[in-house]
Amino acid sequence: MKPSASLHRRLLGGLSLILLLICSLLLLQSWHSARRSADRAHDRLLTSAAQVMSDHVSWRDNRLWFDVPASALNMLAPQGDERVFYTLVDHAGHPISGNADLAALTKALPAPGTFEAFSATLDGLSLRVGALGARLTGWHHREPYTLLVAHTLEARRAMALQLFRDSSLRLIGIVMLAVAGLLITLRLALSPLEHLRVRLRARAAHDLSSIDVRVPRELEELLAALNALLTRQRQVRIHEQRFIGDASHQLRTPLAGIAASAELALRSHDAARWQQALQEIQDGTHRATRLAEQLLSLTRLDSPEAPLTRHPVALETLAREQVLRLLSAADRCGIDLGLIDPCPAMSVNADAWQIEEALSNLIDNALRHARSQITVGIDAATRTLYVEDDGPGISAEAQTDALRPFHRCEEQGTGSGLGLAIADGVARAHGGHIVMRHTSEGHFMIGLHLPEEHS
Amino acid sequence: MPGLSRIVVGLVLATALLASVTAAGADDALAPSDDVLTRSRGHLHFPGSRRERLNIQGVVEAEILRPVLEAFHQRFPQITLNYRDASLGPRPTPDRIPPNVDLLMSSAMAQQYRLANAGLARPLGDGAINPDWPQDARWRNELIGLTHESLVMVYRRELADIAPPPADHAGLLALLTQQREALRGRVVTYNPARSPTGFMAVAQDVARSQEAWALFDAMGDTDTRLQDTTADMLDGLIKGRYLIGYNLIGSYARRVVREHPELALQVPTDYALALQRLALIPASAPHPETARRFLRFITSSEGQQIMTTQTPLGSPLLIRRASAEHDESLAPIALTPGLLALIDPLKREAVLDRWQTIFGRHGAFPPQAVKGDVE
Repeated sequence: MKPSASLHRRLLGGLSLILLLICSLLLLQSWHSARRSADRAHDRLLTSAAQVMSDHVSWRDNRLWFDVPASALNMLAPQGDERVFYTLVDHAGHPISGNADLAALTKALPAPGTFEAFSATLDGLSLRVGALGARLTGWHHREPYTLLVAHTLEARRAMALQLFRDSSLRLIGIVMLAVAGLLITLRLALSPLEHLRVRLRARAAHDLSSIDVRVPRELEELLAALNALLTRQRQVRIHEQRFIGDASHQLRTPLAGIAASAELALRSHDAARWQQALQEIQDGTHRATRLAEQLLSLTRLDSPEAPLTRHPVALETLAREQVLRLLSAADRCGIDLGLIDPCPAMSVNADAWQIEEALSNLIDNALRHARSQITVGIDAATRTLYVEDDGPGISAEAQTDALRPFHRCEEQGTGSGLGLAIADGVARAHGGHIVMRHTSEGHFMIGLHLPEEHS
Repeated sequence: MPGLSRIVVGLVLATALLASVTAAGADDALAPSDDVLTRSRGHLHFPGSRRERLNIQGVVEAEILRPVLEAFHQRFPQITLNYRDASLGPRPTPDRIPPNVDLLMSSAMAQQYRLANAGLARPLGDGAINPDWPQDARWRNELIGLTHESLVMVYRRELADIAPPPADHAGLLALLTQQREALRGRVVTYNPARSPTGFMAVAQDVARSQEAWALFDAMGDTDTRLQDTTADMLDGLIKGRYLIGYNLIGSYARRVVREHPELALQVPTDYALALQRLALIPASAPHPETARRFLRFITSSEGQQIMTTQTPLGSPLLIRRASAEHDESLAPIALTPGLLALIDPLKREAVLDRWQTIFGRHGAFPPQAVKGDVE
C-alpha cells in the first residue's frame, strides 16, 4: 500500500499555496497602487504646470497672448528626459501657441475652472495629457481658453517601478519570515506525533500495558482507541492463557488415568486384570480423543481462516438423525431420548456440520444431567432448535458462566466443560445465541436461536 | 504698425528668393563626383571606395570642419562623405528635417531640442558616444552637444581711445549710452531674425533679464549693424568697420583674435552664455549606422584631439576639466524643456517684433541689407 502524503507535507503544501495566492494578490494590488500613486503624483504635476502657465496668459493686441514660462516646461520633465508638449487654444479650439496640437487629442475641451488628465498617443508617443480650462482675469476681457500640457511616461514608469520594488521587497521579507515561522510551527505542532511514534517503537513485543503520554486533544481519541485495543488484547491473552491451562488440565486427567491403569496392569499377572486395564485405557483414550475433537471444533469455530460454508439445512431431519445416532448411548444411561411429535419443519441457511456439532454437544450435555427424559424439538416461531431435559438445569445466575469453556456446574462431572462453549460458538457464528430457561413443567430447556440470515 | 508688417513681408520674400537661388546651387553641388573634394564653399564631398554613405548637415563653415572630416575619411575610406553647410542652403523649416540627412548638427539648440522632443530623432545607439562625455551635453541619448562655447564680446583696441572697454553687459550699456555718436554704426551683433543662433542669444539674454532690452534699445540708438554669422562680424572688426562686436561665438573669435593683435576678446564678467552645438540622427536618416560611426569618431579622444588642435571648436571634455578654475560667470544653456519656451511661436514673434521695432525705426533693418550667409 502506497502511503498517503505526510501530514507535514500536506500542511506545508496547503499553507504555502495559500501564502502564494495571497502574495500574488498583494503583488498585483501593489503594482496597481504604485501605478495609481505615480499617476496621481504626476497628474498633480501636470496641474501645477498648467496653472503656472495660465498665469502667463494675457490679452494683448486684441488677442490672447502667452508668454510661456520655461520653468513650467521644466516642471513637466521631472527626470529631465521626458518629451514635453504644450498647447494654448482659445475658446473656439483654435491653437494660439505651442509645440504640438494637443487639442486634437481631446474630444471636448474642459469647462473653465476644471482640469482633466487623460492618456493619449501622439505620433506613436504615449502621453499623459492634462487639460486646464481657464478664463482671463482682466476687467475687460474674460475670454475662456484651454491650456493643454503633456509629457511622456518615463517618470511615471520609473516612480511606479520604484514604489513597486519597495513594496515587493517588503513583501518578500514578510513572506520569508512567514515561511520560517510556518516551518517552526509545523515542527512544533507535529512533535507529539513524533513522540508517540518513538514511544510505540521502543515498546517490547509482549508489553500490552496502556500508553501513558500527554498528547494534544486531537490525538487523545486516537490514543484512547489504541489503549482500548491494548486492553482488549490483554484480556484476550489472559483468556487464552487460562484456556490453555484448562485444556492441559483436562487432557491430563484421562492421560493420568491411562497411565495408572497401565501401571496397575503391568504389576499384575492376572489376564482378567489386563483385560480390565485395557478396557480402562480404551475409555480414557476415548475421552481424551473426544476432548481433543472438541478443542479442535472450538478452535475452528473461533478461527477466522475457516469461514462458514452455508447451505440450506432442514433442521427437523438433522435433529432426527442426531437423535437416532445417540439413541443407543441414551439407552445405556437409561434415559428416554426422543424427538418432539409432531416436529415442525424449519430450514436455516447454515453450516450443517456446525449445527450437528452444537446439537450433539447439547444432547451429550443433557444425557449427563437428565434424570429420565430428553426431548429434542424445534420452535419455528422463535427459530430455536432446543433440547429439553428433566434434570436440575442451570440456575439463572450461573447461565453466563456456563457458556465459558471448561466451566462445569458441579465439581466432579464427567463432561469436558466444552460442550456449551461449542454450542455458544456455533450460535454466535450464525448470528444467533444460546437460550436457556426452565419450562412450566419444571424441565430445563437449552436451545440454539438461529435468526434468519440478513445479507 | 503698418510699416512694420510691410518690412516683415519684404523680409520673408527676400528670404524665400534667396533660398530658392541657393537651393539650386546646392543641388548642382550634389552632382556625383569622384575626386573633387570641395564642390562649393558650403559643400565638401569625399568619395568613398564602397557604397556606404554619410550625409552631414551642419551650420559650421565647411572649411572649419574640414580637418575632422578628412581625418574621418582617412579612417573610414569606404564611406562616401558629404558635408553641407546649411547656413548657405535653403532655410531649414523649424519643424522639418530635410530628407537624406544622416546627421544634423546645429548650435540653434532650441530648434534641435524641439526636433528631438517631437520624436524626430533616432537613438544614438549604445556605445556611439564616448562614455566620458559630460551628462549635461546629452539628452535621452538622442541629442549630443558636440561643442561647448561661450558668447563673447570682441572689440578693437583703439576703442580705448574713446572710452575704457566694457567688461560686462552693464558696462556695454553704459558705453553705448555715453558714446552714442562716436559708436554710431560701429557696433555689430547677430541678426536674430535671420540666424537661429542669434535668436537663441537674444532670447536667452531676455530670458535672463528684461534689462537686456535696455541694451538692445541702446544698440538700436547707435545704429548697430546686424550680421548673420560670427565670421562676418569678425571680418568687419578686422577691417575696422566695427569697433565692438556683441555675442560672437567664442571659439571663432578666440582664433581670430590670436592672429589679430588689434582685436581684444572680452568674456562678459557678469554672465557669458554658453552654447552647445547639438547633433542628432534624424528618424528619417537613410544611413544611421555611418552617422553613429561618425559620432563615435568625433567624440573619441582622437577626434577630440583634432577638434582642439585643428579647429577652433574646442572640446567639451577639456572645457569640463578646465571649468573648475573657469570663472563662474559661464551660463551654460541647459538641455531642458525650457528651451522650447525660447522658440514658442508667440514668444518668438514677440521678441522679433520688439527687435524690429527697435532696429526698424532707425532704418538699420532693411531687408535688402541681408546677406546670404546665415548662422
